[in-house]
Amino acid sequence: MTYAYLFKYIIIGDTGVGKSCLLLQFTDKRFQPVHDLTIGVEFGARMVNIDGKQIKLQIWDTAGQESFRSITRSYYRGAAGALLVYDITRRETFNHLTSWLEDARQHSSSNMVIMLIGNKSDLESRRDVKREEGEAFAREHGLIFMETSAKTACNVEEAFINTAKEIYRKIQQGLFDVHNEANGIKIGPQQCISTSVGSSTSQRNSREVGSNSGCC
Amino acid sequence: MSAGRPPFLPGLWAPHPRMTSQTRARPRQRACSTGRPGRLQRHLSGEFDQLRDFPIFESNFVQVTRLGEVANKVTMGVAASSPALELPDLLLLAGPTKENGRLQLFGLFPLQFVQLFVHDESRWQLKVKFRTGRAFYLQLRAPPETRDREFGQWVRLLYRLRFHSAQGAVPFTQEYSALEDCDDDEEDEEELELEEPPALDTRLDPQTSVLWGL
Repeated sequence: MTYAYLFKYIIIGDTGVGKSCLLLQFTDKRFQPVHDLTIGVEFGARMVNIDGKQIKLQIWDTAGQESFRSITRSYYRGAAGALLVYDITRRETFNHLTSWLEDARQHSSSNMVIMLIGNKSDLESRRDVKREEGEAFAREHGLIFMETSAKTACNVEEAFINTAKEIYRKIQQGLFDVHNEANGIKIGPQQCISTSVGSSTSQRNSREVGSNSGCC
Repeated sequence: MSAGRPPFLPGLWAPHPRMTSQTRARPRQRACSTGRPGRLQRHLSGEFDQLRDFPIFESNFVQVTRLGEVANKVTMGVAASSPALELPDLLLLAGPTKENGRLQLFGLFPLQFVQLFVHDESRWQLKVKFRTGRAFYLQLRAPPETRDREFGQWVRLLYRLRFHSAQGAVPFTQEYSALEDCDDDEEDEEELELEEPPALDTRLDPQTSVLWGL
């Protein structure tokens, strides 16, 4: 399948915050309540349509456990986007954000778009981190912010696609050199990209979504 | 193309819904031991800039149950993240996508968290076991005329990795049975009967594609 651009994403954050579940929901549209611990990096990919361009998101789902961290951080390099995830029901995962952010900034391009995600928004009764705290952290560090639920799929599409929109906006503004692979962007194999949508799969994957569906 | 979770990871055996079950298909591109880039290496060259220069030894397999029932296709490779390494340090797993059958990389796992075993030599089967306890079985998919040789390369690799991880504690004998998996939950590393170090050169030589002296 042709695409105009390929964007490399990384998903980072503490173990158990739902990184793999977010990926599975985004790529397969399903939720798996019990997940094995991620070792190393697992991959997913999906086509999305941004401003009439087919864009392939190549997603690197990294292990969150501390013992794998020194290994996985070497794969941050060359990411155009990062989803930095915490669990709204576990305060400590929010407290560790600074450390994750430092890692991400240190090992990747300064232009990388970072989406802060407060996951498990379906567990409102167990909430331990206020939405406003997430918003404030994002504002302070120049991140985009969303609360999501990998279980109900709330805002999952939006989180991935809004990140892509921001990367695409930076490309258009000339902030990203698309010929520099260190920026996590590759130009697709075909120069001429049709704006029409082909297969049913890509139709499913190419929905334009609003900036916030407000479901969470 | 998608998949957040490789097909072989959950439970004893559960094929990934986006993986095909094309078990009758002919063997395709075989391991890159001849110097020709394999399918996995070509896939990485296309879309994974960060991984494309890794020396890789790869083969095509089918995932099987412990009893040998055949499921989906898997391409497994080992790679060295640095040419300075004497042995590979990464395991790569890939498989065809459900949509178009093209190869897709599913996971990259540091070999320090993975153990490889000969499961059934007569059926060219390996066992891959993660430190988390998850395990799955792979049967080599290669033309009959090259299958034994290719499987032998994996066995040699497997010994090298074991020998390396043992850090010279005791030398080894190339007795296939020594590597067979006796019990899922046992620490198999300690069961190795080692005798004499290999005489083969283990220096990485990607220029001639004689990877790890296999």
